[in-house]
Parts: sequence; C-alpha cells; structure tokens
Amino acid sequence: MLSRRALLIHLPAAALVAGSVMPVFAADKSVTIGIALPLTGADADDAALIKDGATLAIDDAKGEVAGYKINVTVLDNGTATAGQYDPAQAATNARKMVSDPSVVAAVGPQMSGDGKAMSAILSQGDLATITPASTNPDITDPKFAGQYRPAGKAVYFRTVTTDAFQGPNMANYYAKSLKVKRVYIVDDSGAYGVGMANAFEEQAKKVGIAVLGHDQLNPKEADYTTSLTKIKALNPDALYYGGVALAGVKLVKQSFDILPHIIKGGGDGMYSSSVLKGAGFPAVAGWYATIAAPYVFDDPEVTAWAKRFQAKYGRAPEGYSVTAYDAASVILDAIKRVAASGKPVTRSAVRDAIQSTQLKTLQGVVSFDENGDIKNRIVSVFQCVKDDKFPLDDVLHQFKYIGVAPQSA
Amino acid sequence: MTDYAVLLQQVINGLSLGAMYALLAIGFTLVYGILELINFAHFNVFMVGSFLGMWALEFLGLSGQSRVLTGLALVGALGFAFAVAMLGSGLLGVAIERIALRPLRGVGGTTGMITTIGVSYILFNIVLLGAGADAKNFPNPMPVVRWQVGGAVIDLREVLIWGIALVLMAALQLFVGKTRLGKAMRATAQDSEAARMMGVDVDRVIMIAFFLGSALAGAAALIFGLYYDYTSFLIGYTAGLRAFTAAVLGGIGSVTGAMVGGIMIGLIETLGGQFIAVRWTDVIIFSILILVLVFAPAGLFGRAAPTRS
Repeated sequence: MLSRRALLIHLPAAALVAGSVMPVFAADKSVTIGIALPLTGADADDAALIKDGATLAIDDAKGEVAGYKINVTVLDNGTATAGQYDPAQAATNARKMVSDPSVVAAVGPQMSGDGKAMSAILSQGDLATITPASTNPDITDPKFAGQYRPAGKAVYFRTVTTDAFQGPNMANYYAKSLKVKRVYIVDDSGAYGVGMANAFEEQAKKVGIAVLGHDQLNPKEADYTTSLTKIKALNPDALYYGGVALAGVKLVKQSFDILPHIIKGGGDGMYSSSVLKGAGFPAVAGWYATIAAPYVFDDPEVTAWAKRFQAKYGRAPEGYSVTAYDAASVILDAIKRVAASGKPVTRSAVRDAIQSTQLKTLQGVVSFDENGDIKNRIVSVFQCVKDDKFPLDDVLHQFKYIGVAPQSA
Repeated sequence: MTDYAVLLQQVINGLSLGAMYALLAIGFTLVYGILELINFAHFNVFMVGSFLGMWALEFLGLSGQSRVLTGLALVGALGFAFAVAMLGSGLLGVAIERIALRPLRGVGGTTGMITTIGVSYILFNIVLLGAGADAKNFPNPMPVVRWQVGGAVIDLREVLIWGIALVLMAALQLFVGKTRLGKAMRATAQDSEAARMMGVDVDRVIMIAFFLGSALAGAAALIFGLYYDYTSFLIGYTAGLRAFTAAVLGGIGSVTGAMVGGIMIGLIETLGGQFIAVRWTDVIIFSILILVLVFAPAGLFGRAAPTRS
C-alpha cells in the first residue's frame, strides 16, 4: 500500500498510464517502457537522477518512435520498511511489468539486490531490462544462468560494467597509485556490497595488500563505533567499503571521528548525492569512489547534454544519469529497428534487437556480449573535494575525476 | 593501540550508548510500572524527538557541522534544542495517551499494546512522508575537543552525554522519590484502585508518566543526533528494541533497573562486538532478553512478576 502512495508522489502525471492495459497491436500503436528504481528510501536522490536520465531520452524522442507512442510506467523498488531498495518489492514490480502486455522493455533496476530478485521473473516473461547502475556480476554470469535467466536468453543488459571489474580495478588503484599496504574491508550485507567487497578483497591479496579483516555492517544499525574501534586497533592505512548510502552515510560520519587520517574509498554506491547530503562536509571530503562507466563530462556533446538536464530538472546529472539516458536510448533504438523490419513490436523482438545493439550513445558505442554485459569495461575513479561554487550535494562537481582505474592484466 | 586501550575505548563507547538506552528505557518502565502496558509507540516518539531537535537547531540557523559555537552561545543553542525536543516529545507522549490509549483503558488483554504498535507505525510513516527517507545530516554546533586517556580517546560530546544523562536521571529519581506527584505515581503503580480511593488523580498521574518518559526519549534522541551527527526515520526500531531489552533486564517497572539495564546493554553491545563479532550483537542482546524472561522475569531490580488484583 505504502509503496503505491510513495509512487504517486514521485510520478510525473504523464506516467500515470500503468492502469490502462493496452495490447501492443492496438490501433493507436503505443508501447510502454517500464522504469523500476528505489525511489523511496536512502538512495532516493540518486534513483531520481537515474529516472530523470531515462525520461530525458524519451522526451528527447518526443515520446514517439517509428510511429509508436512511448508510454512510461514508473515503479518504486524501495519500501519504507526496508528504508532503502527492497528486493521483495522489486520482484512484485517485475511481475507487474511482465503481466502488462504493453510493456516491451524496461530501464532498471539501480540495485543488484533488486536485480537478483527481478532477473528470473523477467527471463520467464522474455522481457528485457537495461540496468544503468547495478553492477553485481552474478546476475549476468553464465555460471548462474539457471538461477537468473532460467528461460535461457539474456534479459539483463547493462550500460555499466560489473563489479568483476569495479572491485578489482579499485584494488589495483589502491596498490599502485595510493600505495596502500594494509587495508580493512567492510560491506553493508547487501548483494551489491558483499560482491563488491569480495571482488576487491580477492584482487587486493593478489597485488600484495595485506587484508587485515573483512566485516559486515548492519545497515539498519546506527552505531558503527564498535566496529571502527576494532579496526583502529589493527592500524590499517586504508579502508574499503562495499555498499550503498544507508550504511555508507553512517560509516562516513563515524569513521571521520575514529579513523580521520587513513585513505577511505568505496564503489559507485558512494558516488552518490545521498551520501553527500547525509554525511556532508567535512566528513565526506577525501573519500574515493568509482563508477563502472567512463567519465564523459569533458566531452562537449555531453556538457551540452548536462546543461539541458540541469535546465530541465534543476540539478546536475551524475554518471548514472548518463548511463540511464543511454539505456533508454538503446531501447528506443531497438523499437525503431524492430518497427523498420516490419515485424510487430513485441517484447521478444525488442529483446533480440537490444542484443544486437550497435548504438552511438553519450558514453560511446554501446554493444552487449551474449550475457548482456556491456563490451566496454571502464572503471573511473573519483575523489570527493569540496567545491563551494556548486551545491554541496551535487555529485558531478563535488567528486573530482581522477582517472581510469588500472585493469588487471 | 594496546589491548588495554582498545578495551577502555570500547567501554567509553559502551557508556555513551548505554546512557542513551537508559534514558529511553526509563520511558518503557515508567509507563509499564503504572499501566502494565508495553508502549511500543515509544520507539518512534524517540525518532520524532530527534527530528524535533534537528529542526530546533536548524531554526537557530545551524546546519551540518561547519558552524561551531562556544561558551554561552553553545549552552543556549543546546538548551533550546533540549527544551524543544523534550517538551515536544513529552507533549506527543501525552497526546498519544489521551487520544489513542485513554479510550481503551479498562479494556483488557493486549488491546492497548497493539494500539501502541499502530501508533508507532503512524508516527513512522508521517515522518517518512513528511521529512523524506534520506539520511539527515544532524546539525552539531559542538567544537571537536578530545582528550587522550590511557591510549583511548574521549570526546567532549561523550562527556556531555554522560553528564546530561546523569542529571536527568538524578532529577527523575528525586521527582519520583521526593515530590508529592512522585508519591502519587508510586502509589498508582502499586495499586491504582486504592490510590484512586485515597484521592489520587490517576488520569493525571498516567499523563505525567507519559510526559516524563517521552520527554526523556526526546533528550535521548537529541543526544543520539549530536553523537552520530545523523538521524533518519529508521532510527527508532533498533534503539527502541535494545532499550526495551534494557528495561526488561533491569526489571521492567523499576526506574533504577532501567538505568542499570541501559548501561549494561550498551557495554554488552560494544564489548560483545569487540571480543565476539559485531554481527552477533543482536543475537547476544536478544538471547539475554530471552534468558531473563525465562529464568528471572522480574529482572535485576524488578518486583516479582506482576499480578492483577
């Protein structure tokens, strides 16, 4: 009940078409794109920036492609009881999209925990989704195909790379550029956080960093001083955190008091407006973060795009607004190609078209391997440096781009 | 850090947590002592209290940790925030009693308790929808002052927490032990029927119990915010459940028990985390709750198991 109410708040009026189930072949020719993101909870700010990126692509196409009107249905993967993304709600939303025959493809989810819950359902419905942010490698790993795509074909596409690169590449960066010798690792017990921290740990050991320990934080717990005091006693020179904002904010705050002088970093969960807002300066200053996509804001074309985004939504986009724009563009392109081939625009035709994508997007040319993973595997590193000229929760300007994290040989 | 310093540091952390739990546990105990009602709304009265404290500090023009006050300005700002948080939470507690619980008085069984769970969820959702789900950066005007003691670090804000908690608990003890109203409270707790016959205004006593318990939750909430520089609509649940365990451990109904229980739960949490593992904290704490309920239901300082006459 609550999620529906929360949904109403976030929904732009144009998206209120979820109720009207229209067959794909209806005379007025319209199709629906689903957007499933945690719009309630600790990650709501970043989810909104992703949603805006996807809707901008559809608005840029004037809500129409090859004679098909594009409807959007926005579903909230977050719940109040979870306080953040909620895999159970995500599964419900996946079923909702699958059972609505007008939905031909989706953008989302943001969180890997949600992705794990949704992927099998989408597979059985032959409905493709493109995630602009979820990076846990298991979901697209052929080893787990039975679990995450029981129907066989890839349905979980990504316009970001995975933690199979994000975690290890950051470990390389810790070792090579930051000269870290002794690291302590924590995660937030979620699917994304655990996977990310484990991948980091494995590579850290390979490149000769001593891993002093790996602890899990309970995201609903307020107090991390016990864990942090334990860590302090081990005298590490760096901390690595795999996880999202809910635990991240408290970790930033409390580690600022207890471990003020060591190197601290995380993944794309920390490259986040929610973290900047909740933790604030000075606590968050100096934190490293990564995204599983190239940094494109130096490109004049993207700069112009960012200006349009800012003008329309009143705040600057972030890295995953770009990948969300790209994800929606890929779907629109797929619909266009299906329509051009003269075949009916069904979800299974759209899936096949997405699979064979070769599209120039903001981040470069996007194409997918047979598992749905993007072929371009770049991890960008950022450091939080306060910039008083911009709003203090503006990810784009408060995180300074440093470079590409070194790929493992 | 030496082993000794780590132990000392965890004891310091535990005392700070314990002071918060103790203040919160008193609210459970005061209401239970008089009504034999477990007030689950208390969880989220605490949460609302932290938002009231935050808004009070923001009203003074403070945001984040960038502005540091000293001297009288600091005392004034904190005094104002405590007044708002305590008074606001206290009145909220009274309102809950008046609106949701008084009409049910005399209805037996678990009706009252279930109602408080409902009220708790209403408060939770009002704050969620009204203030948003994101983590709030709690304004904190306190300067960062630290002392090294035997290898451990004590923060000014920790000393402040202990001091404020001690003063509030001492004041409560004085109130309950020495004043006329306190006497009326104790009489009502022992036998409300007889107290009523002796001319005690039982409704008023109950209202005061709710006010005091909720006001202390407001104080605990502000301390929470200042300690972690953080609040969110979620904080009531974990803190509330642990404080409730503290109240049971100390002997629900006993104010002294709630204080001692709170400190003990705080220490168990940090020392258990240090020497066993942090992820076992909840298992340890709630095992204690179960053991106490099974083997010593009266707790450390409680009366024998309550019986209704």
